This record gives sequence, C-alpha cells and structure tokens, in this order.
Amino acid sequence: MRRDSLYSAARVVIVTLALGGVAIALLPGYWIYLATAVLIAAVSLMSLGVVEGRTGMISLCQLSFAGVGAWTVGYLNVAQAPGGLPVWILIGGLAAVPFGVAIGLPALRLRGINLAIVTLGFASAFDAILAATTFPGQTQFLQVPRPDVFDSDAGYFLFVLITFALIAGGLQLIAGSRLGASWLAIRHSERATAAHGVGIPSAKLSAFAMSAFVAGIAGGMLAGYLGTLVADNFTMFGSLSLFAVATMTGAESAEGAVIGGLLVTLFPEILRRLALPQDIGNVMFAVGAVQALSSGETASQALRRLFGKLWRHRAIEIAPLQPASLAPRRDHGEAAALTVRALTVRYGAVVALDNVDFDVPARTVIGLIGPNGAGKSTFIDAVTGFLPRYEGGVSLCGRALEGMDAHARARAGVRRTWQTNRIAPNLTVGAYLDLAAGGLTQRQLEAALAWIGCPDARVRVASVDAGARRLLDVAGVVAARPALVLLDEPAAGQSYDEALRLAKRIAEIPEIFGSAVLLVDHDMDLVRAACAAVTVLDFGKVIASGQTAKVLEMPLVKTAYLGVVDSEAA
Amino acid sequence: MGAYFTAAVAGLAAGGAYALLGVCAVFTYRLVAVVNFVGAAIGAAGAFAFSMLVERGAPIGLAAVFGVAVGAVVGVGVGAVMTRWFAESPASTKAAVAVALLVGLAAIGLRVTGGQHPHEFPELLGGSAFRLAGVEVTNASLATLALAFLFTIASTLFLNRSYVGLQLRALAERPVAAELIGVPVQALSLWVWGVNGAATALALILIAPQRAPNFLTLSLLVVPALAAALIGVFRNFWATLAGGIAIGVMEGLASVIPHLGEFRAAVPFVVILAVLLWSQRGARWDEAR
Repeated sequence: MRRDSLYSAARVVIVTLALGGVAIALLPGYWIYLATAVLIAAVSLMSLGVVEGRTGMISLCQLSFAGVGAWTVGYLNVAQAPGGLPVWILIGGLAAVPFGVAIGLPALRLRGINLAIVTLGFASAFDAILAATTFPGQTQFLQVPRPDVFDSDAGYFLFVLITFALIAGGLQLIAGSRLGASWLAIRHSERATAAHGVGIPSAKLSAFAMSAFVAGIAGGMLAGYLGTLVADNFTMFGSLSLFAVATMTGAESAEGAVIGGLLVTLFPEILRRLALPQDIGNVMFAVGAVQALSSGETASQALRRLFGKLWRHRAIEIAPLQPASLAPRRDHGEAAALTVRALTVRYGAVVALDNVDFDVPARTVIGLIGPNGAGKSTFIDAVTGFLPRYEGGVSLCGRALEGMDAHARARAGVRRTWQTNRIAPNLTVGAYLDLAAGGLTQRQLEAALAWIGCPDARVRVASVDAGARRLLDVAGVVAARPALVLLDEPAAGQSYDEALRLAKRIAEIPEIFGSAVLLVDHDMDLVRAACAAVTVLDFGKVIASGQTAKVLEMPLVKTAYLGVVDSEAA
Repeated sequence: MGAYFTAAVAGLAAGGAYALLGVCAVFTYRLVAVVNFVGAAIGAAGAFAFSMLVERGAPIGLAAVFGVAVGAVVGVGVGAVMTRWFAESPASTKAAVAVALLVGLAAIGLRVTGGQHPHEFPELLGGSAFRLAGVEVTNASLATLALAFLFTIASTLFLNRSYVGLQLRALAERPVAAELIGVPVQALSLWVWGVNGAATALALILIAPQRAPNFLTLSLLVVPALAAALIGVFRNFWATLAGGIAIGVMEGLASVIPHLGEFRAAVPFVVILAVLLWSQRGARWDEAR
C-alpha cells in the first residue's frame, strides 16, 4: 500500500466528517433530513462511479442492487436477526454481490455495450419481480428500526455520514492500489493491461462486485432512512436517471458523488418550492449528461481543473539516479530466456511468420529487425499470447508457454511494450509503475524512474510528453524484472540524442535487472548501440542472424531494407 | 397442451412488435453505429401524438399519419444530437448518450402526457382476422407481424442491394472516411434516424392498445427489442425477427405457467443472459495495436 494513497484516503474521510459536522451544527432539522438523502444518493452514485467512472462500463441497474440490499435489511428486520441495522446493512451489501457477479459474468469477455444491455435487462426483470411481490414487512407496516444512538434525524445523518466517509475513503484506497490502477488501465486498453499480468475477467468482476456491494449498502441505508420501502424506490427508470446524473457529475470521486447527490435530492425540492413539475429534473440531468459526454469532462473534473489552477504547479523534475536504490536484480538461471521453434502464423492466406527459429540467451540484448510488414510485431504478439493461434513452440527459460493466456505469460515472465503508447492517461506515473511492476518500495520505484529519466511519480501521465511516455513504458516492464522483455519500437518518436541515451539504458538492462531483452526497432544506431546480436526478418522468414555489426553489413539485409540490389557492394 | 398453444398464439402480437423494434435497433446499429436505447421512446412520442390527436376528435387515419410523422421528427432530433456531436465517438459513448436521451425524452413524455393519466388508444386496425387454436388473432397483431417482415425484407434488400445502402454501411464503419469519398454523411444519417423513428412510431401505435399505455412502459419496450437484436448479434435482420417473435411467444407461454406468470416480464433478461453466455466463446481482445 502506497503511503500517499493512505494519505489521500484519510484526507477524504476527514474532510467528509468535518463538512458533515458543520452541516449538523448549522442546518435546521428539515435540511438535515434532506442532507441524509443527499448522502445516500451519493453512495449509490459512488457505486456507479466504480464501474462507469473507473472501468468505463455502462451499468443501468444500480437501484436494483440497492433494492437487493434494502430487501435483505427488511427481511432481517422481520426475522428479528441479531446485530441491528449496521450489521443488516452490511449483510445487505454482501447479498448484492452475487447479483453483481452473476450479471457481470456474461459480459466479461465482450467489450462495449453488452453490459449496458444485460444490466438494463436485469433492471426490468427486477421491476417485474418487485411489482409481483412486496418488501418484507411492507404489508404489516413494520418499520426498520434505527440504532438507538442514531435514532433522531441528526443522529441518523451522522450514521449515514460515517458510512459515506468510510466507503469514500475505502474506494480512495482501492483507487490508489494496483487493483484501482488496473481498472483505469482496462478502460484505456485491455490488451495493455493484460500485458502487465492483470487478469482482465477477474479485474472487471471485482469492479462489478464492489459496485454491487456499495449499491447494496446504499439500499440498506435507505431502508433505515424511510422505515418502510415500496417498489417505487428502486425502479428501472430511477437507475437510468442515476446513470445520467453520474455521467453528468462524475461519480468516481467523492465530491462528484456528493454534487450528484445534491442534484438528485435538492432539484426536486427547489422545483417543488417553485411550484414547478419535479420531473423537469430528469430533463436537466439528460442535458447535463449529454453535455458532459460531448465535452469529455464531468462536472467534478471541471471543478478540479478550475481549482487546480489556483495551486502553483511544481516543475516536473527528473531526479538523479542513486543506483543503490534500484530493486535488486533477479536471477532467472542460465537457460535461454526465449526459445522459439518453427513458429508459423497465418492470417487467412497470408503467412505472417514462416517457420521461424529464434533464441534469446539469458541476460543478453538481441535485436529483431526487418522492413515494415516483416512480421516483427506479429512475432511479439505470438510470444506474449495475444494471437488466437499459432503453430510451433515458444518456451521461456525452458518452460513451454503454449496454453497460457496473455496475462499468465506476463506473470510467468514475458513482458512487452507496444508500438503505440497504451498507458492510461488518468494514472499517475507512480501508479502506472506500480501496476506494471507491482510490489516495489517507494524508493525502488523512484529509482527506476530516475534510471530511465522519467518525471516524478506524482505527475499524471496525461501531462507527460510522448517521448517520456515511451520511456515510462520501458521502465514499467523492466522494473518488473521478468526473465524476458520484448520492446516494440521504444525509440519511435525520440530525437537522435534521446535514442542513443535509451540505447545505453537498454544495454544495461541485463546487468541491472537480470532480464534478457528482445529489441524491435527501425533506428539502426539504437540497434547497433544496444544489441549484441540481431536477427533479420523479411516477409515472415529469418534471412540473417548473427553479430550486429556483421549482419548489418550484409548485402542481403541492405536489399531487404532498401529494396534495391546494392551493386557496388557486390 | 391446448392452453399452452393458446398462450403462444396470444404472445405473437407482442412478438411481432418486439421483432419490429429489434429490427429497427439493428437497422440503427448497422447504419449509424448506435445501440439505440432511446428507440422505443422515439416511437412512444409518435404513438402518444396519435392518441392525443384522436382524443381531440381527429379522424384515426389522419392522426396515425401525424403520429408517424412525429416519430420521424423526434428521430431526426435525436439523430441531430448524435451526428452533430458524437459522429466520431466510440460505441460506448454513443450508447451512454442514447441512455441519457432516453431519460430526457421519457421525462418530457411523462410530463406532456400527464404521467400515469390514462390515454385513449383506439385500435388502428380493429377486429379479429381469424381464429387459431381457439384464439382470436387480431388484425393488429397480424399487421405488426407483417410490418416486421416487411421491414426486415426492405432493410436486407436496401443494405445489400442498393447504392445508398452501400454508402450507409461505409458511413457506419468510418464516418470520416465515408465523407472524404463524397458520401453525404449528415444527411444520410438523419434519414436513417427519421425512417427509424417513423417505423417505431407505427409499431407502437399498433400495439399500444394491448399495453398499459403509459409513456414510460412504451419507452422501456427497448429491453425486449435489444434482446431480439442481440439474438441477431446486431447484424442479422432475420435472426432478430425470429428472436423478437420467440421472446413474445415465450412471454405468452410464461404467463400461463402457475407462479411464473407474474414474472413474465423477466423473459427478455433471461434471453439476454443466454445469448451473451453463448456468444462469448469467440470474443477476446479489443482492437489491435
């Protein structure tokens, strides 16, 4: 657990409790009652923030999850279960989790709108079920009792406030963890996230489960708030409206959720006092959501941006390297890091790789070069498990990789970078490195950044220039200290000097981190400076292999690159 | 046995409507690349325009034409939002926009039509066509089924055989590239939305008398519609047609099974779950590098 994410979680809890305390001291009774509703709505919105705001998936049944939580609380009340409301609410949240998982499962491996459709289906089915049944205790007018200490309106507000603060702080902690970083990364690119060894299905499933849990808690708190529940509290249209509000205000942050909660609760109240119809609120939410989607910025992000301008930004600095702080090198044994035998890849009639044999000995840097379309990236895709099928054998340190998923291969020790940068821009540099490497201490993490020349760990990736992002990509994979690192054009877009500096770093990788490197690049100065040996691919076949300087002088290789026969050399 | 058959035949009416709405959803997806959560709400606007005109004493035929026109206009309005601001957005953003528009349109619709206040929905095609297994097969349900078939055939032919259809397919895949080779992207997209709005409005005018005619319930018919579209993987019109009819028949069957009848509205959800579980065998990664 990173220290700064602990700090920011603690900050959320303290600020929430302080503001809530001020509210109790200043607001008259009716407004306290309304403020309780604001916070309960904010908790429902935060549940949506986990799936929508972080993972980027559309969920349209949050109130159904809340309904499951509320139903459970009602049931436990009728059954006179021990523990009282706080325990019942917790059980209600847990009861919603299996529903979240069951609904998430069918949409796991499919991207995009499938989750939206299945959650909408669940919301409508839940509507039908609620219409046909009643809440436990509803017909006997059995009230859900509040705990004695929190029985008054102000007391229950305090109870909800504490729960809200705990959930907001907890979600903030998760956001700062590797799991939270993987959620943001999935939103940006599933492939790149899997290449860090993150299992996409389990990461998504944990987001659904967390979301359903938080929504279930919100439902349970509503049960204590209202005393008796009716189906109208949990309609499908309510879920849709909640989605619009979350899209408008941004529910992944506590402040976005509270702003949303204020809108949901106070808008109808204001309209009521102005004697205007209350459903105008939904029209406003719809307009706000469309506006936020078209500008690509939610209300809370806009606020952050405006407030962010008030603070003076520190200049982005690159710390000097203290070699002793780097994580100790890992020993992967003497067996060849990568052994590829008779690798053949076909795309329909096109043979992208034809019977390729290839070795990367332990702790060496080997270049893989060839003109565009030679099959270099296909080779990396095959080794790292991103192709649906290939023929031949790939083994890592003598262990066959066939039958392993991309994320399993990454965990086993094959790590890669991408030709185009796929780092989620919303992560900080430190969070990205933590996602890629995992388990580094703060000092080791900062040392890895200093080694490659990347900016401060607290900087957001969005404000880092494209060249430094490519370096960050390299830093991430090597800091994980795997047996094999595959770098796909790391010098693309770098200046000549930067490329040479990068070459020096790449040449150091085996010594410092213990990994073998396969380097794909078109920059021959980089290849010359970094690689002990190179292999040349052309049209999917190995046409030359050997010591770098010798291979680069071969007429055959020049022809492959330049497309003309070099008559003078012959 | 007889009771089940009767129930299945009774489900055909709803099935026809689901099929038609589903085919419309596939139509929008294939032509303008939007998963149309707001489709049924657009149709509902047209259907309620029809009803309110009839309540004010207009002849049914004229009111129906007006209703269909309103559906087309609202469709073009939604399409204008989509093409103006979201033509280049990823599918999930467009879907989120469609959901937001559904919220807004349904809120406006409920306000204009007075919420739960009942409206008179005259049968556009009254009476019964024939009796099958002791059930009246109404003209309305026959008409919805026929309309669904017609729309399926027309869509298939239009997309596969006509030049405009070819342009539209290009538009759905790469709007900018299509524009660069001279396809009038904006105008064509708005046409798609308009035609789609008109067709949904007609479908809902036909089946509204058999439903609780409230703006929200009609708008939420998008659930069975999308379930049907999923059966056709948002590509195949004929599979969508069959899927929509099957969902209607299954709902009909569920309604006569003891203890299950009250939950028949959960049928589309079960279908969605089944289709998604089945279709995930292949899908794996997002777009390549």
